[in-house]
Amino acid sequence: MREVDIAIVGGGPAGLMAADAAASNGASVLLLERDGHLGGQLVKQTHKFFGSEKQYASIRGVKIATILEEKLKEMSDLVEIWTNATALGLYEDGVLTVEKGKKFVKVKPKRIVVATGASEKFLTFVNNDLPGIYGAGAVQTLMNVNGVRPGQRVLMVGAGNIGLIVSYQLLQAGVKVAAIIDAAPTIGGYLVHASKIRRAGVPIITSHTVTRAYGKEAVEGATIVALDEKWQPLPGTEQELDVDVICISVGLSPLAELLWQAGCEMRYVPQLGGHVPVRDSLLKTTVDEIYIAGDLTGIEEASSAMVEGRLAGLAAASSLGFKSDSLEADILDCKEQLKSLRSGPVGDHINQGMALVMSDK
Amino acid sequence: MYLKTGVADKELVSNALPTEERRGSGPYAIIECFQEIPCNPCTEICPFGSILPMDDINDLPRMDYDSCTGCGLCAAICPGLAIFIVDESYSDTVASVSIPYEFVPLPQKGDIVEMMDRAGEYVTDGKVLRVVPNKKYQNTPVVTVEVPKDKVNEVRFLQPKQKTEIAMPKADPDDTENLPDTTIICRCENITVGEVRKMIDQGYDDFDELKRLIRTGMGPCQGRTCRHLIMQEISRRTGKKFDEIELGAFRPPTKPIQLEQLIGGKEDV
Repeated sequence: MREVDIAIVGGGPAGLMAADAAASNGASVLLLERDGHLGGQLVKQTHKFFGSEKQYASIRGVKIATILEEKLKEMSDLVEIWTNATALGLYEDGVLTVEKGKKFVKVKPKRIVVATGASEKFLTFVNNDLPGIYGAGAVQTLMNVNGVRPGQRVLMVGAGNIGLIVSYQLLQAGVKVAAIIDAAPTIGGYLVHASKIRRAGVPIITSHTVTRAYGKEAVEGATIVALDEKWQPLPGTEQELDVDVICISVGLSPLAELLWQAGCEMRYVPQLGGHVPVRDSLLKTTVDEIYIAGDLTGIEEASSAMVEGRLAGLAAASSLGFKSDSLEADILDCKEQLKSLRSGPVGDHINQGMALVMSDK
Repeated sequence: MYLKTGVADKELVSNALPTEERRGSGPYAIIECFQEIPCNPCTEICPFGSILPMDDINDLPRMDYDSCTGCGLCAAICPGLAIFIVDESYSDTVASVSIPYEFVPLPQKGDIVEMMDRAGEYVTDGKVLRVVPNKKYQNTPVVTVEVPKDKVNEVRFLQPKQKTEIAMPKADPDDTENLPDTTIICRCENITVGEVRKMIDQGYDDFDELKRLIRTGMGPCQGRTCRHLIMQEISRRTGKKFDEIELGAFRPPTKPIQLEQLIGGKEDV
């Protein structure tokens, strides 16, 4: 059985920062990433990030992934990185099972930081199994990782930040976006994102949903319909769109299977995207050895995920006695950054949600 | 309306403009950032301190137009591409607007391009004066275009001539009644909403029961895609609240693996 001070599950923005923070304080770290490369969703983010300098604002996501990875490589004496390694199970005795390549491996860490991120929500509508219907994440992977256009003309369902950003990236790739629709009465994503797509001629239609995809072998069109204040379809308002791709971007669910398996207390908090773990202000779950960071704690931006990752890494290392001189100050810095990122109107729902899952105040 | 359409209202834009006098006296930055979001690179990049420091990172940017030279660094760095540089001072008939533009092919100096407003509608043609690639600033090129002076604060996007219309065809009315039974709800196992409804109506109203009976959530995704949808269907059909429905047990492995891997598994790496 492989032993290590801290195992980190997930090599996205949160996991990378957690690994850096833990190793900087002297803990040995094993970082597990199910993909063949580190970075998680960052590698698909070709746009510049918001936030402040500390969260790499104005740098493109894909470059942030490289910066964070380089930092870890400088600490290779303490940080071991396994790519193509999927965590399969987290047991009550703290054993983590991993599919590493084709091997089944057991790991016994003293602490675990779970930073598995989130998965995309989907929609039920007529013919939703036709080829040409994608999650927004898949469209991003196709375009930005593999250099493949998903189609010619897209209906984007969802005007949150992901729907807006992926629409913009589709335009950049030379793909037409017929419309962005959202069931909500207002645009959920940042308005500066909305504006830059709008001025490129893409209509954003709120209070609308998709009811049907058409097509024999693949998508040839879609029907959208207006919704009333109670989110019910208004008969007679149907419009047909000539599209060959329907891209679904209707939100994310925290990916918490490992925490359920390990017996962490979970709560359903809609403001945070679904069932999320109860945690203290240092991101420790109700199971002493298990810490959390990133979208798994509640759906937010990558900037918050990075700060949470650093906080969880510091806290996990500290609980094992690994402490640099600046540890207390570093923890305070993380808490202040998170508070500041969440202090505006767009952070309201996050703060409401957090209040429902904090085990300390 | 801004919240519904993404097109900033006229008042928002006119409030962001400097005084008439300042507009006539040289290039200036106009920041079209009207929503409080946690973001401050513009305040850090400005070499003249013209974008005033924020008390809170969520504050809206504020300008000191007296010190702004219209240098354009803020337009290059803004992650929201929400800053434009306008120069109304060098001619009575034309003015220039600099627009961050992240599309290929990049226009060339001298090109005639179509200029669009904030809603993507064609306004006028413009002549490209210069293209700054901004390699140092994350490669957001800024394109400066000369346009008729009275249109300079109307146009905010450009595209090469031969604009392609994105039309919205009017559709045949279609049924918007309840989701038909034949719709797929569990894509991995090819299970329809109808099959799930039939089971719910027989009293099987939690995720695990459905899983045992009809295999929903037992494919490669292990419920990541369908769990949410099935729980919504249970909620609609039984009137139970979403958080009162049993999510079902989560057991290892988190994804299907080959038995061979377990058999050949080693204790040590």
